[in-house]
Amino acid sequence: MSHTSSNTRLPLCQLPAGALGRVCELAGDAEFCQRVREMGFGESAFVTKVSGTGTILCQVNGNRIALSHGAAKSILVEPVGRRV
Amino acid sequence: MALPSHISANPAGPSSSRTPVYALVGNPNCGKSTLFNALTGLKQKVGNYPGVTVEKKVGTAYSQHGQPITVIDLPGAYSLAARSPDEAVTRDVLLGRRADTAQPDRILCIIDATNLERNLYLVHQILDLGRPVILVVNMMDLAAASGVTVRINRLEQELGIPVIACEAVNGKGLIELKVAMSRPDLPLARHAWDIPAAIAPAVAELQASLVANDRKAPFIARAEALLLLTDQDSVRVSGSTPLHARTEEILRAWQKRWEGEGTDWAGTLVNSRYDAIGRIAADTILQTGTSAGPTISDKIDSVVTHPVWGWATLGAVMTLLFLSIFTLAEYPMNLIDAQMAALGDWVKNAMAPGDLRDLITSGAIGGVGGGIIFLPQILILFFFIGLLESTGYMARAAFIMDRLMSRVGLNGKSFIPLLSSYACAIPGIMATRTIEDQKDRLVTILVAPLMSCSARLPVYLLMIAALVPGDRVPVATKVGIMVLMYALGTLGAFGFAWLFKRTLLKGAPPLMIMELPPYRLPRVKDVALHMLERAWIFLRRAGTVILGISIVLWFLSAYPKATEGATEQQQLAQSFAGRAGHALEPVIKPLGFDWQIGIGLITSFAAREVFVSTMGVVFNAEAKDDDTTPLRQAMAAAKWPDGRPLFTPLVCITLMVFYVFAMQCISTIAVVKRETNGWKWPLFQIAYMTGTAWLVCFIVFQTGTALGF
Repeated sequence: MSHTSSNTRLPLCQLPAGALGRVCELAGDAEFCQRVREMGFGESAFVTKVSGTGTILCQVNGNRIALSHGAAKSILVEPVGRRV
Repeated sequence: MALPSHISANPAGPSSSRTPVYALVGNPNCGKSTLFNALTGLKQKVGNYPGVTVEKKVGTAYSQHGQPITVIDLPGAYSLAARSPDEAVTRDVLLGRRADTAQPDRILCIIDATNLERNLYLVHQILDLGRPVILVVNMMDLAAASGVTVRINRLEQELGIPVIACEAVNGKGLIELKVAMSRPDLPLARHAWDIPAAIAPAVAELQASLVANDRKAPFIARAEALLLLTDQDSVRVSGSTPLHARTEEILRAWQKRWEGEGTDWAGTLVNSRYDAIGRIAADTILQTGTSAGPTISDKIDSVVTHPVWGWATLGAVMTLLFLSIFTLAEYPMNLIDAQMAALGDWVKNAMAPGDLRDLITSGAIGGVGGGIIFLPQILILFFFIGLLESTGYMARAAFIMDRLMSRVGLNGKSFIPLLSSYACAIPGIMATRTIEDQKDRLVTILVAPLMSCSARLPVYLLMIAALVPGDRVPVATKVGIMVLMYALGTLGAFGFAWLFKRTLLKGAPPLMIMELPPYRLPRVKDVALHMLERAWIFLRRAGTVILGISIVLWFLSAYPKATEGATEQQQLAQSFAGRAGHALEPVIKPLGFDWQIGIGLITSFAAREVFVSTMGVVFNAEAKDDDTTPLRQAMAAAKWPDGRPLFTPLVCITLMVFYVFAMQCISTIAVVKRETNGWKWPLFQIAYMTGTAWLVCFIVFQTGTALGF
């Protein structure tokens, strides 16, 4: 996994609403990373931000997932484009 | 292919004399409970796994030939690497780690067709166990609607186990499932996946140690070994057997080595499972169409999770909930009250006067009646909670509340337990089992009893009646005082949560990750079953714990006997309870309470509502929950020995404040003890809550007195 273009990375909480991103790094503790990966939200998963700045709402593989601010901050994504 | 010895001697076949045991597992929100209800109907038993408040649901289904099949409904889990006590129970039962529940013979795995890949993750872990598995693919209709077809035959070929397409909500696929469950032999999964090379030697070594030292069967040992590497093993619940020291040692050694090398062993394992699942999914999922724009769920969500409309919706739902609890429940509550009174009268007429008659009427009937009068409110609350959960709204409410909860260091998942605690702290505390973080869970348990439960209601009503006599004051004032008490308790709960998260149970801000299931029409049958289960648990408690306590309290207030001809009040004054009231007086005098109120405080330590009936005995008035007039008049006449009135408005307010904060409930203490596995936290809870109650009352009373009230 070599996503080196670090300048385009941003935490999920900062991804604009409606934007599509790809998960490139998980920064939380081991237990959190484990669960996020197990829920199919691991590295290289595509995520659409739905709404929110504090608690955020996003869509991964057709699932609606709510993340607290802290959790969204620990998921680094690279923007890929906008949802059609 | 010759089957391994532990499988070929299949104990699960209907031909064997023993009832086969199936475990039902699946992700949360995949329709597991609906399937369980459809399979077992009313033949369910709800209990507890000893030591934890995780519910154990066991039901009986019948095979095609009418033979009984036991089905254990395990808590929903995303993974066997448990993150909450709920998931830990699922893991431990499947691995045969629990002494109280034998390892199930067969596993019924239910997955959501609309979300195949993530659901297959748990299936993938379960296939490791080497047990016969039947896979149920639920929600085929919803998948089809979103343009996805799951090729059941392909999935069956791929995995080598029976796969049944199903729509649990309307019973489609149930017959096929029962046919599969009735099969005497089930094939084992063709479950080949490559453990990453870097990790394989560790798995082999751990497996060997688990077989040699922990006496596990080879298949289970391999699954355990894989789990030990991904499971941070933070959630050990009571009842699960600990690992052998040698196994622990091997695990630590490997982890240390990998840390040195920079190998992310847990991540690698999850990824290699997903790789294997990806291959299966690519072969079985047929994208027949594209989902056309936002779904209905998306449209509802855009309102319900909106920063403004979301709060408005939540507010409306809460208002409706409380209005129903307090208005609809009134009629059945009056009915129960009348029935209990009639029963008491009947016993009074049927028996000769004496201690035994008093024990039955005042002790047993009075005490239990005082408890079950809350049954209608509890039923309504659970009906609503069941409705909100089965439609999918509850997760949205938690989402909306997360913002607010994070201010005090909790997350949205603590919302449901706190909401339930408005009816009763016990189901509230039981609902904390889905909170992953141990500290968050403990904080929620500690503050839940501060939410004003329905047992405080009679005390509030009596005090408000004493405070604002007659109909001279508008109803709004009474309601206002009531709302104030609820607000005080709620603020207290949030304040203490904030305090505990910063001091005793310091922890990082919670990382909540929560799935919002698609909206569904609620199934009346599921909601009703859920409600009846609660009612039964509550009634059983009323029949045992509350009955026992009521009898003890009756004894304490009836003995030692006063001299012949003494009034009921004189009898009470010199009984054990009366003496305890006198002993307590110095402590509560600064709050404006005398020994008679003290008796009420002592007896209502069992349950708050007992205060009202105790006051009825103390002031010798016939009190009924819905009509406090005679008692109010008796209380208005009560005086200190120097002639000052006892129940001044300030004392009434102080007494209400006391009940807002004080931990006056033996049942809650018992649940907290069981939940936290010891006496430390319940004792702490009694101390901090009752301590706060005393302090706040002291401030209220002394300030009020100084201001001349």
